[in-house]
Amino acid sequence: MAWKLTVFILLLVICFIFPWIVSPLWLRIGTEVVMWAGLAQSFNIICGYTGRLDFGHGAFFGIGAYVTGMAMTLLGWPFGLGLLVSGIVSALLALAIGYPTLRLRGAYFAIATWAMGELIRQIATILDITGGAFGLQLPAVLNLPYFYYMMLLVTGLTYLTTYLLVEKARFGYKLLAIREDEDAAEMVGVNTASTKNWAFALSAFFPGVLGGIYAYWVTFIHPDSVLGGQITDVMCVMAFLGGIGSLWGPFLGAIVVQLIQRVLWVVWGEGTFYLVIIGVTICAVILFIPNGLVGLLEGTGLFSPKESVNELKKKIKW
Amino acid sequence: MILQSHDLVKSFGGVTAVDHLSLEVEKGSVFGIIGPNGSGKTTFFNLVNGVYPPTSGTITFNGRNITGLRPHQIAKLGIGRTYQVPAPFTKMTVLENVMVSTFMRSSSLKESRKVSWEILERVRLEDKGNSLVLNVTLEDRKRLELARALGTRPDLLLLDEVMAGLTPSEIKEAIELIRSLRTGELTIIVVEHIMDVILSLCDRIAVLDYGEKIAEDVPDKVVNDPNVIKAYLGERYSARN
Repeated sequence: MAWKLTVFILLLVICFIFPWIVSPLWLRIGTEVVMWAGLAQSFNIICGYTGRLDFGHGAFFGIGAYVTGMAMTLLGWPFGLGLLVSGIVSALLALAIGYPTLRLRGAYFAIATWAMGELIRQIATILDITGGAFGLQLPAVLNLPYFYYMMLLVTGLTYLTTYLLVEKARFGYKLLAIREDEDAAEMVGVNTASTKNWAFALSAFFPGVLGGIYAYWVTFIHPDSVLGGQITDVMCVMAFLGGIGSLWGPFLGAIVVQLIQRVLWVVWGEGTFYLVIIGVTICAVILFIPNGLVGLLEGTGLFSPKESVNELKKKIKW
Repeated sequence: MILQSHDLVKSFGGVTAVDHLSLEVEKGSVFGIIGPNGSGKTTFFNLVNGVYPPTSGTITFNGRNITGLRPHQIAKLGIGRTYQVPAPFTKMTVLENVMVSTFMRSSSLKESRKVSWEILERVRLEDKGNSLVLNVTLEDRKRLELARALGTRPDLLLLDEVMAGLTPSEIKEAIELIRSLRTGELTIIVVEHIMDVILSLCDRIAVLDYGEKIAEDVPDKVVNDPNVIKAYLGERYSARN
């Protein structure tokens, strides 16, 4: 227990002093890793803990980016307020979509969320206020550590919320019960419809906020960059690679995937061949370490996933 | 009367699973429902706890019309239920399974944990509390099913073939267990195939056949009812006697 705490504190310290010990390139990469760690965790809430596959989760990221972008450029709102509103808009949208679709069994939820993601992208492409296909230009602030710490703050909150609300609270037990057997959960008094809706809203809030920070950080967004299908794909891959249904799985997955992606990108430059290598790596990982990276560390005492992630995958309603 | 069903009908397409069924169950009693396979016993339970709404008719619980409510609402009003085939949350521990059922009437995880241990002791599962359900036997899963139903603190408990698949000695233990639940406050409806169980537990028995009630009386009278013998054991057996 004591050395686990030591590892955790060491990790925190590294996270905090990171901007002061690395070059700007690595600070960028670090910021990305932290952001993706948060995104993958948000995906984990609805997919890993609740067992519902959300194929449009990236849309909440894009919505956050656009809401913050439009609030700052069109309405002149301060950045912080824009972020808060981004999170709330994402969560509300999740409630609106989840209400009719989360009660369906089978693959319908995955299909509905995928369609929602596409719909939002099309809307962002045709509307004038979003800048259409040309995108949206935000005021530029060249302060890399600031964005790093913002990402760190929100991702930290994502993990803290997951820990407090899902791992250590009744809400989390209910989510697991729903994932295991929805009818039985209902039978013992769990209001499954509303519990699933709140889980979905919670999982949508954080990507909304992270999307807002991303928009202000990169200063220029367009539909393909923040609403493309690849965003959901990457979240999904990170969560599965790291180990779904565990608190630290998405974190590990985000570090590994993002680092591989960046290193290969540096080696191969602007070409797209690095995507092939990533694809092959992911296939290999899923075939040979199906429990994810957390599964590999099982028994080392560092992480204690509640169950085999491989078993858990069968529970997800595709 | 704690539970009344009035003229209850449930049809699935052309099949009428429950046919104009009217039942009254007295508070504090153990009420048995028997009948051949497919006679509508489980469907009746599914109607009572809201798995699906009846085609027509009403169900009244504690003087309140509960027809058409959702299962979690009915659980909250005080009807607990076990499944014929245990449906535990397999990737959670035995204790956690029970804890989920106590959330409805507890204010904290700590309280839930305490109450759940008490329930596990009551059904004699306390040794398995920390095992994953994945690793426990069928008998223990049946006990867990009961423990989870008790966790909702029901006034009315629906037991759907809790004995099926158990060995004779396990059945004896299970009967003792159910008997120990009779405290006067709790009403129990038992659906069962095993006659010994029904006869030794129930105050009153209703017999269903093709969704209709063909008899209702105290156990001794019901087993000697010619209609019941015919439905249950066939024409030839009833002719032979």
